[in-house]
Amino acid sequence: MSDESTTGRKSILQLRQLTKSFGNFTAVDRVDLDIAEGEFFTIVGPSGSGKTTLLRMLTGMETPSSGDILLHGERINDLPANRRPTCMVFQSLALFPHRTVGQNIEFPLKIRGVDAASRKKRALQLLEQLRLPETYYSKNVTKCSGGERQRVALARALAYNPEILFFDEPLSAIDYKLRKTLEKELKDIHRETGKTFIYITHSLEEAMVMSDRIGVMRAGHLVQVGTPNEIYTAPRSKFVSEFIGDVNVIAVQTQADGQLHAAEFGTSFVPPRLPNGFTSGHLVVRPEFLRFLDRPDSAINCLEGRLYNEYALGSRIQYQVRVGEHVFIVEKLRQQAFGGQRDDAVLIGWDAKDSILVAE
Amino acid sequence: MPGSSAQRWRHALVVVWTCAIVIFMYLPALCLLLASLTSSRYFIFPITRWGVDWWHKTFDSIEIRQLFETSILIALCVTAVSVVIAFFGALAFARYNWRGRSIYQKIVLLPIFFPQSVLGLALLLWFNALGLELSWRTGVLAHLVWIVPVATLVISIQVYSFDPALEEAAFDLGATRWQVFREVTLPVLFPGIFSGALFSFLLSWGNFPLSLFTTGADNTIPKYLYAKMVAGYTPGVPVLGTVSTFGAALLLLIGYAVILVLRRRHSDAVTEE
Repeated sequence: MSDESTTGRKSILQLRQLTKSFGNFTAVDRVDLDIAEGEFFTIVGPSGSGKTTLLRMLTGMETPSSGDILLHGERINDLPANRRPTCMVFQSLALFPHRTVGQNIEFPLKIRGVDAASRKKRALQLLEQLRLPETYYSKNVTKCSGGERQRVALARALAYNPEILFFDEPLSAIDYKLRKTLEKELKDIHRETGKTFIYITHSLEEAMVMSDRIGVMRAGHLVQVGTPNEIYTAPRSKFVSEFIGDVNVIAVQTQADGQLHAAEFGTSFVPPRLPNGFTSGHLVVRPEFLRFLDRPDSAINCLEGRLYNEYALGSRIQYQVRVGEHVFIVEKLRQQAFGGQRDDAVLIGWDAKDSILVAE
Repeated sequence: MPGSSAQRWRHALVVVWTCAIVIFMYLPALCLLLASLTSSRYFIFPITRWGVDWWHKTFDSIEIRQLFETSILIALCVTAVSVVIAFFGALAFARYNWRGRSIYQKIVLLPIFFPQSVLGLALLLWFNALGLELSWRTGVLAHLVWIVPVATLVISIQVYSFDPALEEAAFDLGATRWQVFREVTLPVLFPGIFSGALFSFLLSWGNFPLSLFTTGADNTIPKYLYAKMVAGYTPGVPVLGTVSTFGAALLLLIGYAVILVLRRRHSDAVTEE
């Protein structure tokens, strides 16, 4: 654990053995993490993984049971939320329904005692920055659309001028197309403001689009931290590999000749580079790397199965192939669709370099 | 068109039924008004001699003025106290999760379902046991026992729809606890608090059974009406009854108008530019 993060920038926020328990239940378990200044860091995990509790500790709305939170190297565990130079965009957005868009944005400035004229000036600047028309200044916040409300919530948080902005899945209730737009906008805002963004979501896809780095949480532990590319190409566990989407996972163990034995299929596979000390784990093959074969020897690893189902996924087509009880997923671009019929006997295979070996 | 005549019938039935219900509910109040508009001493239908003499007599009476003063005084005290207790009670009721909340929710609502005359009698016994002299003050206490639960329930409805994240957000944006309360909690919950106040006032204003037992020598309007009905009826009774009823209705309408104006002002601020 170094003070410099992977991006080489100075770290702004450091978590040291951060833990939160509720009674016998440990929601966040000894998390260590360094976040660099100006970084867009996303914490991903399924519901119940502890990511919300972790975020609430970082904002000051929850007190850690043990461990430390350091901001610029200073311990801020006991600093209440209203005295931290950080601010959160809530999942429900928490816009004040009895106030206009302008009043919502000006709220933190009003609290700070900024005069009305300067407040309005700043609010109008923020409206412009978030691509909202100036007339929205006096619009009823409850009459704004979902996307507009997102922008108002972000503008209000920016008005606070925080060093770190937290996001608690604010896009989770938005429909797909708008969400994609807002994700990109958020990334733009991040670049324009240069502030540190810490985002939590259950969608790794969302995390991939926006983040500089991603931390994957599972049952209170931070199981892997890395760039989107690292998380995608080098997951360290079955859990992380499966989190990205449909993958093929085969339980394997090493055998004397250096190959991997898969008990389920009574056969062995040629692995990618074997990590030191690897004895058993899972072989992961992404569906786009699995191929239909003409002959058993056209890929180094091969299995025989039956074509079981076919789904159109837009630009791609997904095939399910049954090998015994195990269902494999193969994906092809639409232009390269596979011509087989249901229940046809098919050969599927992959090259060793296209598979990933994980220990867990 | 087949079915259209059946549809017409159904529609007619709905209209007739609705009208019947409305008449059934509001006819007594109307009769009260009619009964007050007579010049004769007794209650005779149909009214032979119309007039507003009894209205003059009633409003000129010092006794009646005192009745109003006592009733309003009690209702105002009850409103002030019950809104404060009910507001914080409602936060505990609907907002925070704590051990015993579910029992609290049940216990606090129970007095609503006590037969009020029994409750009044029980309170009378208590006041005697405690050596409290019966007056409008003990009446206020008695009303509170029944009205605080109602007001708590009314305000709770608003609290249930309140997103606690609003307070967290305000706090996170730098507000102190007091600023959060003043800038967010109170204004957002205001419609509920206002409704609670209106309920408290009107329920106290119209309450008879509790007042009967607990206000001692201080007379309220419902108590007076009852006494006059039992002995000494004059058309002053329907006059007072009408004023009391329509006064309550008027207050309710004004309250509704206040809420509307508040809402309008908010959306006006919104469309100004």
